[in-house]
Amino acid sequence: MLELEGVNAGYKDLQVLWGVSLRVGEGELVALVGPNGAGKTTTLRIISGLLKPTAGSVRFLGRQLDKEPAHRIVEMGIVQVPEGGRVFTGMSVQENLELGAFTARARKEKEQTMKWVYQLFPRLEERRHQRAGTLSGGERQMLAIGRALMAKPRLLLLDEPSFGLAPILVEQIFEMIAEINRQGVAVLLVEQNVRAALELAQRAYVIENGRIVGEGSGDALLSFESVRSAYLG
Amino acid sequence: MPTTMVAQSLASGILVGALYGLAAVGLSLVFGVTKILNVSHGELLMLGGYTSFWLFTLFGVDPFAGIPLSMFALVIIGLIVYQLLFSRLIKLPTEDKIRTSLLVGFGLGLMLQNIALRLWTADNRGITPSYAGAVLTVLGVRLPYVRVASLVIAFVFLLALQLFLQKTYTGKAIRATAQDWEAATLMGINVHRVYLLSFVLGTALAGAAGTLVAVGYSVEPVMGLHWTLKALIVLVMGGIGSIAGTLIGGLILGVTESAAAVWISGNYRHVVGLAIFILVLLIRPQGLFGAKEG
Amino acid sequence: MTIKKGISLALLVIGVVALGLVPRMGASESLLNLLILMFIYTMLATSWNILGGYTGQVNLGHAAFFGLGTLTARMLYTGGCPLPLAFLVAGVVPVVFSMLIGVPAFRLRLRGDYFTIGTLALSQILYITIGNVLPKITYLPMADIQNYQILPRYYIILALTVFTIGVAYALVKSRLGLGLVAVRENEDAAESLGVNAFAHKLLALAVSAFLGGLTGGAYAYYQPSYYFNYTFSPPWSLEPVTMTFIGGVGTVHGPVIGAIFFVLLKEWLVLRVGEYHLIIFGVLFILVVLFLPGGLVEAWERIRRLVARRTTVKATAPTACAGGNNLPGN
Ligand SMILES: Nc1ncnc2c1ncn2[C@@H]1O[C@H](COP(=O)(O)OP(=O)(O)OP(=O)(O)O)[C@@H](O)[C@H]1O
Ligand SMILES: [Mg+2]
Repeated sequence: MLELEGVNAGYKDLQVLWGVSLRVGEGELVALVGPNGAGKTTTLRIISGLLKPTAGSVRFLGRQLDKEPAHRIVEMGIVQVPEGGRVFTGMSVQENLELGAFTARARKEKEQTMKWVYQLFPRLEERRHQRAGTLSGGERQMLAIGRALMAKPRLLLLDEPSFGLAPILVEQIFEMIAEINRQGVAVLLVEQNVRAALELAQRAYVIENGRIVGEGSGDALLSFESVRSAYLG
Repeated sequence: MPTTMVAQSLASGILVGALYGLAAVGLSLVFGVTKILNVSHGELLMLGGYTSFWLFTLFGVDPFAGIPLSMFALVIIGLIVYQLLFSRLIKLPTEDKIRTSLLVGFGLGLMLQNIALRLWTADNRGITPSYAGAVLTVLGVRLPYVRVASLVIAFVFLLALQLFLQKTYTGKAIRATAQDWEAATLMGINVHRVYLLSFVLGTALAGAAGTLVAVGYSVEPVMGLHWTLKALIVLVMGGIGSIAGTLIGGLILGVTESAAAVWISGNYRHVVGLAIFILVLLIRPQGLFGAKEG
Repeated sequence: MTIKKGISLALLVIGVVALGLVPRMGASESLLNLLILMFIYTMLATSWNILGGYTGQVNLGHAAFFGLGTLTARMLYTGGCPLPLAFLVAGVVPVVFSMLIGVPAFRLRLRGDYFTIGTLALSQILYITIGNVLPKITYLPMADIQNYQILPRYYIILALTVFTIGVAYALVKSRLGLGLVAVRENEDAAESLGVNAFAHKLLALAVSAFLGGLTGGAYAYYQPSYYFNYTFSPPWSLEPVTMTFIGGVGTVHGPVIGAIFFVLLKEWLVLRVGEYHLIIFGVLFILVVLFLPGGLVEAWERIRRLVARRTTVKATAPTACAGGNNLPGN
């Protein structure tokens, strides 16, 4: 459903992505792994339309995305949980979730979706009137994911959802992601936590210095020698 | 000092302070959301005042009834000014955006002031409907009806704005954009629409404030800088993004000024506010009531 | 590069000598007045540019420095103080005053806009206060007025102008000047390279205030009479910014070009459209800020490059040297 082909991109004079091609199929869970500064976040920014490619194409459900403004891309069903969650700290948990359902498409089903999100994350329901700024790191990450789900994503982009969380929470978050995926939402998962990501994903890409250097099923990459030595120690 | 005199000065301070609050809230909204610091806000307020002045003298429109009209006029002017000038800055990094917007606003203020001078001459103009001179006297304190009405209207506007920002979807989108425009974009919010809307809302509020100033006091072409400074003082005292803080800041400024007028000299009324401003700026740059930014 | 430098230096010397000879060639008094106006505006814009252009700290209250300069010089001069001393003190007083906002604002590393609106407020405080304390017209001493000599004023102000530009030039070419630009471009990076941003900004402010005050001194010496608070009024804050941007912010020659252009255009416009010229200046200023942030200097540079490219293409020269890139940071 999502296809990147030969995407070049960068910031000002600095080119970061070099001919990146990748694909996410309907209902698939795909991981994108690589070292710091490899261009993972940049790739997600391209998909979300926050950054425009200088070459190559981005297609979603057969439609060209590179000319669409970012907010329209959300409307089409690509929703991103940015690095660090970026919840609206000055607003309540509930308000954050409401904002997640901002698009016309999502707003119609706001009440049901919110019920679903609260089912997935009961912690959030307990804290619905609390200011998001007062949540713990793990709760914020849950809120960020919940907020993205409110937009009724067809494809969910997750940028290091486990970053800075205790191992037990990481496990929980990953279970959530698997659960969300089982419910039919395609997922593109960017992770530093390579082993967990590869175990979870059906397919994965390895990115280094802005280039895709490896692709395969999660299991295959797990046993791939260079990946093992580079990321799994 | 006789107590009625103290009470009178307190009352006058509160009456004018509410207008300071209303003048500041538009500037604050625009700055908080778009990071455009529009120092021609005072000139826009002036245009609002002259609009009502014109409506009253040419067509006999009651100034209070004409508030929506002067707001509408300022919406149009705001649209033009934003699309023509400030929208070009919107993508700059914050620091550059603030700096450049200060310069653009500065030039725009100069321009508007001189246009007003050509259109309406340098004279002081007031709006004088039949009830203009009526005064309510409470325990010896004289309260002109028009100013009391202005106070009430200013309160209503601030309350309405507060409700709008807190309760409606659009209001929440505005707050979200002010906090983190990129995250807001990822919610599917068209931030450029939000910027435009906030800017125009700010100028509309300037239009309303200008009308109230024209009824309760007077308007003149050089008033712009004066009102921009009042708004900035209030902004610095109240902190960005807090409507209650803005209102309280406005009232404090108004009361302090009248106190200074009584105890020091009427000539120093405006200096006191500026001095407080410098002090607050240097001692508590996040505002007396505002939380730290970030 | 050195040849270019030599040429500009020669042009400068010729220019100054020519200006020195103008009165001898039977120039009318009104021409001399026009030139003096250009000198004063050149000083004003150059002094503003040292802070606003080189460090990027926008001062919207330069009238405070200028006004304090006029006030000090006028008081001292009419009190019988020798002229050089009056000029010197006229520069020092604004420096002391400028520290009032400079030290706290720069030490706390407040964002630039706090400094900007602070300067705006301070200049208004002075404008109102001086209007209250000295609500009258100030005159040059009787002896000066009865026997008003324009020639010494012309030469002295010319000398002050050359001095001001010289200071600006020396500052830019010095290590300090490099530090200033580094701070403007990226304060954190500059600090990490060992540039003390606080000291640099403060120094730029002090020099700007000193030269602004000196400009005021020149004005007080030149102008027979004016209201005491007139020299503190908002236009004196507005005009240096306008001139500098029109000319080219952050360059030495920009404010000079801007001032000459400003004075000439103003003369021309006042004759044709009267007071409407202020509206035109507002529009012009906005247009420059938005579309030509490097002012006339940048426009000239662009044209030159365009022409250079054309000719190099024709001559198929191996290298197309674009010349010094002095685009200002916006
Ligand atoms: N806004 C920006 N401006 C300039 N350069 C940037 C910007 N954002 C990222 N970069 C550069 O682009 C490169 C790729 O960054 P990116 O954030 O995509 O990496 P990443 O793979 O997400 O890394 P990490 O695992 O640390 O999050 C880096 O070298 C980074 O310095
Ligand atoms: Mg990243």
